[in-house]
Amino acid sequence: MRVAIAEDSVLLREGLAGLLEEAGLDVVARCEDADDLLLKVRSFSPDVAIVDIRMPPTHNDEGLRAALEIRAQHPSVGVLVLSQYVEVGLALKLLAESAEGVGYLLKDRISDVKEFVAAVRRVADGGSALDPIIVSTLLARQRPDDPVSQLTPREREVLELMAAGSSNQGIADSLVITLRAVEKYVSSIFGKLGLPSTGSESRRVLAVLLYLRS
Amino acid sequence: MPLIAGLFGLEGEPGRSIVRLTGGKKGVRTTVRAAAPLFTEPVDAQASPSPIAVGAIAVAGCAAAALSFDLSLGNEFGRAPYVHATLVAWITVSYVLCGLIAWRRRPESRFGPLMVLTGFAPTVARLEEASAGPVQAIGDGLSLLPPVMLLHLFLAYPSGRLERRFDRFIVVSGYAVVFGIGLARLLLEGAGLDGGSNGVVNAQRAAIVVLAFGALGALISRRRSSARRFRTSRELLVACFALALVGLGVGIAMTAVDAPGTYVARWVAFGLVGTAPVLLLFGHLRAGLARSAVGDLFIELRSDPEPSELKDALARALRDPSLALVYWLPEYGTYADLNGQAVALPGPGEGRAVTLIDRNGNHVAALLHDPSVEDEPKLLEAVTAAAGIAIENGRLHADLRARLEELRGSRARIVAAAQKERQRLERNLHDGAQQRLVALSLELSIIESKVEGNPGATAQLDQARREIAATLDELREIAKGIYPAVVTGHGLEVALEQLAARAAVPVRLTVQVGGRLPEPIEVAGYYVVSESLANVAKYAEASTATIEVSKMNGLLAVEVTDDGIGGADTERGTGLRGLADRVEALGGRLRVWSPNGGGTRVRAEIPCA
Repeated sequence: MRVAIAEDSVLLREGLAGLLEEAGLDVVARCEDADDLLLKVRSFSPDVAIVDIRMPPTHNDEGLRAALEIRAQHPSVGVLVLSQYVEVGLALKLLAESAEGVGYLLKDRISDVKEFVAAVRRVADGGSALDPIIVSTLLARQRPDDPVSQLTPREREVLELMAAGSSNQGIADSLVITLRAVEKYVSSIFGKLGLPSTGSESRRVLAVLLYLRS
Repeated sequence: MPLIAGLFGLEGEPGRSIVRLTGGKKGVRTTVRAAAPLFTEPVDAQASPSPIAVGAIAVAGCAAAALSFDLSLGNEFGRAPYVHATLVAWITVSYVLCGLIAWRRRPESRFGPLMVLTGFAPTVARLEEASAGPVQAIGDGLSLLPPVMLLHLFLAYPSGRLERRFDRFIVVSGYAVVFGIGLARLLLEGAGLDGGSNGVVNAQRAAIVVLAFGALGALISRRRSSARRFRTSRELLVACFALALVGLGVGIAMTAVDAPGTYVARWVAFGLVGTAPVLLLFGHLRAGLARSAVGDLFIELRSDPEPSELKDALARALRDPSLALVYWLPEYGTYADLNGQAVALPGPGEGRAVTLIDRNGNHVAALLHDPSVEDEPKLLEAVTAAAGIAIENGRLHADLRARLEELRGSRARIVAAAQKERQRLERNLHDGAQQRLVALSLELSIIESKVEGNPGATAQLDQARREIAATLDELREIAKGIYPAVVTGHGLEVALEQLAARAAVPVRLTVQVGGRLPEPIEVAGYYVVSESLANVAKYAEASTATIEVSKMNGLLAVEVTDDGIGGADTERGTGLRGLADRVEALGGRLRVWSPNGGGTRVRAEIPCA
């Protein structure tokens, strides 16, 4: 699995590359700004690009724009955006088209190496990884006669994992339940929220996100 | 010679004049030269002629007309002598009477007396038809005096003075030709020589023709250099002068070569010359109408109009749509418009005239107007006197606005400086402490993977990582409180999503801005929403809230409404007050509606053209 990294802090860039290589991934490009990343994505066509959202020269939205451009120009390359803050607005912007091959995580998540490497692999394979903070922020919203409040605690846990991009197998592993049980919970959740059940696991991320946001 | 020069107004004045009007009890008008550093020119007021003098001059004028009519009947232009005689008599009567009217109305102008004198000139010239010797000789010698005086009169309109060097040159040359060559002819004839020979007379005529066309050029160039579009009666008069000069030039030239039809050319020229007084009277009639405009102005001002309406009222009264009123702000040492914006007075050569207005010894304002308004100084004086108090009010208004503007500027600078400092702090935190902590956490997890066989160490490292995560959470909140970097990075619309998502009550968010706005405006809009939502959480006891952000007519409107208990105290805490400071520093406005039991609505409007 080939990875490109764009991060302006040397400390983090090298740390990130180290842990990925340790986990058996092939880091093909280490870039310190967005232009360098776009160039190297074109030349090396990695499976996934890990992008810091704030990069030189202005430290505003260079990283995000690079991520959106890679999504548009190279749909086969997964994009995992890292940031010191996670914002619902940015998640919506990143996932505007689809959640396939997109991730958006808080930078701290890299220190949970196992989870992080799993997220990188998932995005590289066309899945999604959405920071749990986004999902919990959206779930924390109160609303009148909210169907979310009719969910059982277990269903809520499944919903959170589902919205964060976990596959059914991933959910089953996290909650230590059977795959069949997960499937039952998922269809029950979709029923209660009135959402049409969608095939792909990425598509249901977007559906749940938009549902929670509305 | 100075005496004659004074009488004929031959001493000049520079191009632009500033007139100072002193309002209040005594309306003293002072003509001030723009070139002079101090306003110290003497008062230029001349007495109006007494009624007896006017009557006597009028009678003399009629007598002169009758005499020249009688003399003209016997002239050498055989065809239709009555036409010629009538035209000459008409010119005499009309110039004398019209000159008297102008003199009475505007004694400070020398145009009236000059016109009266010009009226008598044809009679003097007609004396050449007299039979008596010396009288006939004088008339003969001065036969070209009338055209030269007309030329003088035309160039001296409207002040009676010759204001330009070229004008003075033409007029002085004209008199030199008439008197100098006339005297030479008299001397020649006294010596028994033929002073009246065609050669000398034609040289004299040729010189006058050249001067007449020179004067025509002067009139045309003067007309082109000023923008006097709004005064048609005056335009007509100057056009009439110009045509009359052409008529005189052609007529004299044809007389010199004795061309066929010379008499027709003379009739046309005399007719044009005789038309000028009619147009002048027409102009005075219009000025009379203007005086009634002063009455209208009085009535208009009695209803205490807004300062913004004053300028239009003055423009109507003075019939100058281009008029501008600027107020003197002594503390700033500048003139300013009604909004307190500094305005520079027009310089010389910009085709604008300036009238300074004083009240009770203090300079208050200046009128910037078309130079032609100065043709009616009485009107100008009456209008400014009538508007005295209103102008003073306007000045106070302008002064207040200037101060507000100054305050707003310093407020904006303070807010901007604080903003910049906060932005710098947030950036340092982001690139420094936050990055290092993330790297440290990563380091710990790598160590953790190396001590997998040691459960105690693993647990400790795990605990340390959780501490770091909690610290990062806190730092994130602090950094966001210092400066909302997401607004600068990704815009108001993106940033508001998070605020709406994290609000204490369900929020309906509508953003219709269409792209990014200048950073200070986006940040202010963000703070309006975050502060309002914080208030909703703390005080409103609301069940829902709406956020509406829209851009219309160059104005960003941010409105946060809740359905809570209302009764918000706008002075409570520093929240809303600080918000108002931030919005007003950008020239915007923050309003809060919060009736008891009726919810709270906070609306900010910020210009974002």
